[in-house]
This record gives sequence, C-alpha cells and structure tokens, in this order.
Amino acid sequence: MKILVIEDEQALCETIVSYLEEEGYRCEQAGTVELGSEKVNLYEYDCMLVDIGLPDGSGLSLIKELKKCHPETGIIIISARNSMDDKISGLDLGADDYLTKPFHLPELNSRIKSLLRRRKFEGKQELIIDKITILPENRQVLVNAEPLQLTRKEFDMLMFFVSNRGRVLSKESIAEHLWGDFADSADSFDFVYSHVKNLRRKLLERTGTDYFQNVYGTGYTFIA
Amino acid sequence: MKLQTKINIRFLTVTFLVFTVAGVLFFFALDKVVNQNIHEMLESRKAYIILNLQQNEPITDLLESPDHSIFIKRVEKTGEYKRFSDTLAYDQEEKELIPFRKMTFSAHSGDQHYQVVLLQSLLESEDLQMVIVSFMTGLFGLVLLALFFLNGWLSNKAWNPFFKSLSVLITWKIGENQAVSFDRTGISEFDQLNSTLENMMQKIQADFVNLKEFTENASHEIQTPLAIIKSKLEMVLQDKTLNDQQHQRIHAAFESANRLSKLNEALLLLSKIENRQFVDSSEIDVCKLIQSRLEYLEELFALKQIEVTVRLESQVTFNMNSLLADILINNLLSNALRHNIEKGKITVLSENQKITISNTGREAEMDVSRLFRRFAKQTTTSESNGLGLAIAHEICNNYNLELNYHYLNGMHNMAIKQKS
Repeated sequence: MKILVIEDEQALCETIVSYLEEEGYRCEQAGTVELGSEKVNLYEYDCMLVDIGLPDGSGLSLIKELKKCHPETGIIIISARNSMDDKISGLDLGADDYLTKPFHLPELNSRIKSLLRRRKFEGKQELIIDKITILPENRQVLVNAEPLQLTRKEFDMLMFFVSNRGRVLSKESIAEHLWGDFADSADSFDFVYSHVKNLRRKLLERTGTDYFQNVYGTGYTFIA
Repeated sequence: MKLQTKINIRFLTVTFLVFTVAGVLFFFALDKVVNQNIHEMLESRKAYIILNLQQNEPITDLLESPDHSIFIKRVEKTGEYKRFSDTLAYDQEEKELIPFRKMTFSAHSGDQHYQVVLLQSLLESEDLQMVIVSFMTGLFGLVLLALFFLNGWLSNKAWNPFFKSLSVLITWKIGENQAVSFDRTGISEFDQLNSTLENMMQKIQADFVNLKEFTENASHEIQTPLAIIKSKLEMVLQDKTLNDQQHQRIHAAFESANRLSKLNEALLLLSKIENRQFVDSSEIDVCKLIQSRLEYLEELFALKQIEVTVRLESQVTFNMNSLLADILINNLLSNALRHNIEKGKITVLSENQKITISNTGREAEMDVSRLFRRFAKQTTTSESNGLGLAIAHEICNNYNLELNYHYLNGMHNMAIKQKS
C-alpha cells in the first residue's frame, strides 16, 4: 500500500511517515503544492494525506488534481484550521475524511485503514485476527463462526484496537475516538476503563485468550 | 425622545415664554398710555373750567353740566388740592354701569372757592384696549403655530442627511465585507461627519480582518508545534523498552500537551464567536439536537448511574449557526454530566420556547456573577478548562438568547430562551 503525505511541517511529516511505515505502508513525502502535484501526476497511490495550508498554496488544489488523474485514490485532509468552510469545500471536492491537527496517530491510522477497506474491498473484507473474525460492514464479530454480542461503543473500540495492533493506545486517544469533542470529560476515561474491561472479559470468555495488555498509567495494547 | 421632538419642545417653550412676557409688558404699557391720555384730557378740561369760573361767576351754589360730567360746588375756603379716583356711574345711553375716571379739585376766583368734580368715561379706552389685546393674542397664537410647523419642516430638511447616515450605520455589520458609502450632502458638518465615519468604519473593518487573520494564523502556528509534540510523545510511548516510570512521565507530558491544544482550540473558538465569524444561521430544532446528543452520551450516563429525565414535547427552535448550536448543547450537557454525582439526576425540559437543563451536583449554589466568566473555575476538577460556560454564554449572546442559571431544591438549572 502506498501513501503520499503532503505536509509542510517536516517534523510532523516524519512522525506520520515513521508511524505509518511501522504499519507496513510505503510512504512518500511532499512539502509543497508543486512537489505534491508532480508526485500526484507521476505515480499512483492508494491514499493521500494532505494539509490545506501549504507554503505555496492550498492543498485543496491538489485534491482537484488528484481527482482528475486518479479518482480511485483515497484522500484524507489534515488541517490545523478547524474551519467548517475548509472541511465542507474539501469534502465537496471529493476528500473522504477530515482530521484536525493535532490528532492522535492511532486515530489517523485507523481512519486510513477504514478508508482503504471501503475503497479497496468495498467494505466487504473480513478481518481475521487470531480467533476473532470481524465483518466491518455489518458491524459483526464472530468467534469460532458464532456471533459475539458487542455494544456499539465496544465494537468501535475493538476496531480501533485492531487497527492499531501492538500499539500503546492512550486513554485520551481511545476516548477521543469514541466521543470526539466530549472526550475531555474525565468520566469518559472511566468509561474507557470499564469498557475495555468488559470487552476484554467477553473476548477472554469466548476465545480463552487475553488480547489486552495494561500499560501502566497510559492505556492499553491489543496483542494478537 | 426623538431629536425633533426635543428641539420642538425647547423652541416652543422659549417662544411661548417670550411671547407671554412681551404680551404682559405690552398690556401694561398700553394701560399707562391710555391712563396718561385720560389725565391729560381731564387736565385740559380743568384749565378750561378754571378760566370760565374766573370770567363768569356761577349763579347757584351747585352747578351740574347736562351730561353729568361736571359738578361745581361753592365751598368754604380750602387749600389747593387735586385727587383722582375711579368710580362707576349709570350711563343713560348705554343703560348700564360704566367705569369713569373722577377728578376732584379746588378752584377759586377772587374770594369765591369751589370744589369741582370732573368725570371722564373709560368705556371707549377699555374697548380699545380689549380690541388691541385680543388681536395681539390671536397674532401670537398664529405666529407660534406657524413657527412650530416651519421649525418642524426646516429641521426635518436640515437633519435629513443625518438620518440617512444613521440608517447606513444601523444596517452596517462588522465582518460582512460590505463597502460603506455616504452620499454627499452639501452641508459641510454632515460631509465632515460622514467622511470621518467612513474612515473610521474602514479602519474598523481593516482591524477586524487583521485580527481575524491573526487569530487564525496564531492558532495555526500553535497547533502545528503542538501536533508535533503530541505525535512525537505518542511515538515515544510506543517504545517497548521504556520502564513504567518513564512511561508515566512521558504520558504526563502527553496529557498536558493534549490539554494545551484543547485550551487553544477553545480560546480560538471563543474569539471567533466574539468576532462574529459564524455568519450562516438556520432554524435549529433544539429538542432534536438534544435528543441525539443524549443518545451519544448514553453510556457515560449509565456509567455514573445518572437518571436522565427527558420532557421535550413542546418544540423549541432557535435561529442560529448549526455548529454553534451543537457546541452550545454539548457544553451544557457535558457540564451537567461532569459536575454531577454518582446516581445523580439530569432533567431536560422544554416549554414555551425555553429549554431547561437541570442536574444534581457536588457543589452548592454557584456564584452567578462569576459563572460565565473565562477561567472562573469554581471547582478543582482539572479536566475542565473553565471555558465551557463562557463559550455557551457567548454563543447565546450572539443570537439574542438568554442563558440563565438558578439553583432550586438541590438542582442546578440552566435555562435558554429568546430574549424578550
């Protein structure tokens, strides 16, 4: 899978790239509209991450360009400007998703995965993780071919963990994934705690394996 | 009070006072002249009678003229005297009592002494006075009326450019990039006023745009380094070789960076609202919005075992920006949740275009004067940034809504309704 990251902030760009490369993607970087446009026209990518505010123009023009030559490429906007106008015009131009800086890397990772799943497999892909089978489109989880009942938030949480397998997920990033703006309520951390506990118990009962690992004071890791 | 009404009242009061004083003075002057006239007339008759008495000695002791206006009486020797007085006498022709001026004086011819009484009718002069006074009063009234209308018309005409400028100012909204222009009036003061206003408004507009750009740029500049800090820390947290203590320290730094970026976002939002940068608005069904938000928070309520009572039968709509409506409801609901107690209560009620969100809480009654101010935290919970209610309050202000707090029977109540 090839991903093009267009971000003018070198340090941020490197972090994104190194996180994504650890996930097994091949990444290329561009820091300007000019360089981005060159790459967009020359090569094919599965997904493009694009910043709106670039030194030599707006990332929106790159979205237009990409839509013309490779309409099948997924597009995620990453912008520091939390502005509705940018979001709406970006999505109107054909971007698939919009993330506001600063975002959590696991969040970006899970958005890319879900975007690629939708684009490449039209959502019909089955995710098989050890003894667990997930049907993302139907929001269904099977263990040993039998359905496992999960609440809506538990399912979202499981998807987030599965997308970021082996990663340490902080309580903050989990809470933000589930509640967005509501995440700053301390109660949501308690909720993360109690729901990880429930999810962990449900999976342990049915599979006999404990997939979760506590990372003291920080969060959890999903290991499979 | 309207400018014209005020000017008219002052103008008419002064005119009326001047006219009254002038009228009274005029009346007395007229009276004096008439009096003088009568006295002169009496004096000349006196001189004539004295002359006559000296030439022809009267036959009887008492003489009366046929028109009863002269009485001559022979008397014992007296000193010289002359007296004026007013009296009423019956007049044969007019058939009524009419006022007379009476002059009594002494006269002598040789060693004969007389008392002479002269009567002069005041009827004619009073009639004259009456005519003059009523004519003047009528004239004053007419002049007053004419001045009133003339003044109204003139000031209307003279102030017309001012009212035009005023209507331009009233419709002008900062942030809606409309060009301001005033017509030339030809009156130097108004032209001066208009050009000053034009300059001022252009400056305000420019400053506003600058400020807007600055806040946007500042946030962009702050968010990017924060994003880098957060992502780098997140990367470090993935490091398997870290021990627990190192993990905790980095996580604490990560947490703080997180809070800082949330704070930055909230401050930016607040200044955007204050600068009225959210221009679009539509009719928002607040009940529907609350319902969907409550569903979203279901699990959090359940976790704290909070009993949620919803009574949203009566529909409430506010005309506002949809994003801000979202934020407003979010902030109020998360506030009700955050400051609640285990097994507490939240009630959401709609009635008469008013939404009330009530909750039980750890704290007793809040200080209303501080409640909606920035960073006016009344609790020690560190996860609240102290901006939630300030933002909610500012949003309400923006859309002419009233956000009220009151404490009743252990419940904190937040009510939103249209300002009347």
